[in-house]
Amino acid sequence: MPTVGPSTLDFRDFFFVAPEMLLAVWGLVVLLLDLWLARRLDPAARRLWVGRVALAGTGLAFAVALAVGLVPLMARAYPEDAGSWLSKSTLDYLFDTDPSLFSGTLAGDLQVGAFDLLYIVLLGLIVGLSRAWSFTEEWGEFLALLFWATVGMMLLSAAEELITLFVALETMTICLYLATALEKTRRRSAEAGLKYFIYGSVSSALFLFGLSYVYGLTGTTHLSAIRRLLVEAQQSGLTANAAGATAVLLILAGFGFKIAAVPFHQWAPDAYEGAPAPAAAWIATGSKIASLIAFMKVFANALEPWASPDSNVLRPGWIGIVAVVAAVTMTYGNLAALRQRNFKRMLAYSSIAHGGYLLVGVIAVGLAADVSRAAGAVLFYLVVYAFANLGAFAAAAWLARDKESDQIDDLNGLGRKQPLLAICITLLMLSLIGIPPLGGFFGKLYVFMEALDERTASRGSISLVWLVGLALLNSVVSAFYYVRVLRAMFLREPAGKPMAAADRLIALPILLSTAVVVGAGLTPDLLMGVMQAAAAPMLTTPIVVHKLTAPTPVGPPAPKKPTPAFQYSADQMKKMGQMATGGAGPPGGGGPAPKAKAGTKSATPKSKAQAPASKKAENRP
Amino acid sequence: MGSDIPLSWFLLFAAATFAIGIIGVITRKNPIAVLMAIEIMLSAANVNLVAFWRYGPERLDSGPIAGIVLAIMVITVAAAEVAVGIGLVILCYRRWQAADVDRYDSMAG
Repeated sequence: MPTVGPSTLDFRDFFFVAPEMLLAVWGLVVLLLDLWLARRLDPAARRLWVGRVALAGTGLAFAVALAVGLVPLMARAYPEDAGSWLSKSTLDYLFDTDPSLFSGTLAGDLQVGAFDLLYIVLLGLIVGLSRAWSFTEEWGEFLALLFWATVGMMLLSAAEELITLFVALETMTICLYLATALEKTRRRSAEAGLKYFIYGSVSSALFLFGLSYVYGLTGTTHLSAIRRLLVEAQQSGLTANAAGATAVLLILAGFGFKIAAVPFHQWAPDAYEGAPAPAAAWIATGSKIASLIAFMKVFANALEPWASPDSNVLRPGWIGIVAVVAAVTMTYGNLAALRQRNFKRMLAYSSIAHGGYLLVGVIAVGLAADVSRAAGAVLFYLVVYAFANLGAFAAAAWLARDKESDQIDDLNGLGRKQPLLAICITLLMLSLIGIPPLGGFFGKLYVFMEALDERTASRGSISLVWLVGLALLNSVVSAFYYVRVLRAMFLREPAGKPMAAADRLIALPILLSTAVVVGAGLTPDLLMGVMQAAAAPMLTTPIVVHKLTAPTPVGPPAPKKPTPAFQYSADQMKKMGQMATGGAGPPGGGGPAPKAKAGTKSATPKSKAQAPASKKAENRP
Repeated sequence: MGSDIPLSWFLLFAAATFAIGIIGVITRKNPIAVLMAIEIMLSAANVNLVAFWRYGPERLDSGPIAGIVLAIMVITVAAAEVAVGIGLVILCYRRWQAADVDRYDSMAG
């Protein structure tokens, strides 16, 4: 919640950004050690040595992020013991009622903690992948850029305020432009970097211009305050204006570039093809996750009052526009992927298509009665998608190392030479198609179920059946190009120079990704529970998990201090009331609407264990 | 606030500047000119931000100076973008011996 009056800096807030700070500093450490100690080594030894330093940094950051996530949870679980190992002021801070960091600019909730860990794990795998072969000479620069891009992603998915969001977005993408262009031996790497840069910075300018209109209309940059003011303004009829519509379109265009939605996708195939495989993997996974989380926060939280068709600023609301973009994106991505022979370019178009499916999920979030369930479905999809893509890019790195090529045909005969890894790649491809026992299937299932669920939700005037039908049709189309990879691996004779055995730097990402994808497919409830718990605080006003008012273990906690953060509109209150009486809510939630609101809001982000249980309760007819 | 120039003039100016920037990005062939057009777009947004800050109501809950802070941040980010952009343009120029975005087309499809 935005602070009133002059804001004060609480230095204890730095505890929650410790992983970001560590990664930023470690980027400098890597850069300086590379220049200072490693320059005398020969190129291959230098690569391995600097890579090891970077890996140590990701390990350290993982430990710190784990500690940042666990200390509040532990303190909350055992409040009596916590006094012995935490100081009084830290305890006060952890149970503080002010839920956000740095005067409301950053969130420190479970979603941030979980995704920080995810980014660091992915970063570790990508740093490992970069050590596998020499595609550049500037190892310090390349790895430092990956680190700083990660800092940008972590802040982007934590941002609760538009200035922070913009700066984090730029931190992430500027580092990625450079990482794309760092493969000095190939001309197309420079070309990819320049194209990515031009499209990316035009999109930033569009986003910024839209943002300036939002600031002008509301006078604030805090997401929750924007939402509150728009709800108020809607009642007085102020939002029926051209500036609001322009702002929505421009911000949508800006985010559309970042997640490669179709009218704005042209950079993606070139950037993926030209970039060195680890940088392309980081663009495809980390940058996409962070941009989508920010997209959800801006559209489904701040601009939520403009979502629905009955808003009077844009006739269809942003949901109508996003629906059209999603339909075009997935159709175009899949059809264009069909004619690709280059593996990385095929993955680029496939990631455009997946962006289309994810936009369907964002629409569901915008319409949803139960925001945390719909947003949890999108986060689930993102995690599974990220790992499946990382494994696929590890295969692309393998190709680049041993064949110096990206063609799908160069995978010929891999199934006979390397059966284990070929089977793993097969599983990843099947997961990307969405074949039932794998994680990708459940990602699509959850997202599409949420989208279909909206027909029965209160805002019934938009039917998403056509969109989900198109998405299913597209999933079938996508099978053709993913199967081409499988056909090359298993049905063709190997030709030309055989691929050397993958060492553990390449095998580990493939194996781990396969494990995650299969694991998410076998126990989808587990991951979905975590993701729902993570999504719960994300799209409401910053109600933060680790800083509950009091450690009350059972029952709905007492309403927090009267919060002026934002008011629900009348129909939202009604919806909340229905939700609470519908079975999943806390006991006694069927009372008057304000009470139900307090109950659902504070009960949903309660704990990881509670979310799956409540989901089961809802699924039971 | 008593000011002589109405807010709408600033907004029209910013919108026109932004349109000039977009047209420049689309039509220019020289990558340096494209870079300049991008800078024009960012400046247009800055004009908007400062004008909205000057004419807008002061809201206590976000601090009255968000627009100015954002404008300063944008200037900083724009500087970083230009530094990176010039580097990439020089890299491409060395590879192709040409400053023409239409000729950087080794990848297609």
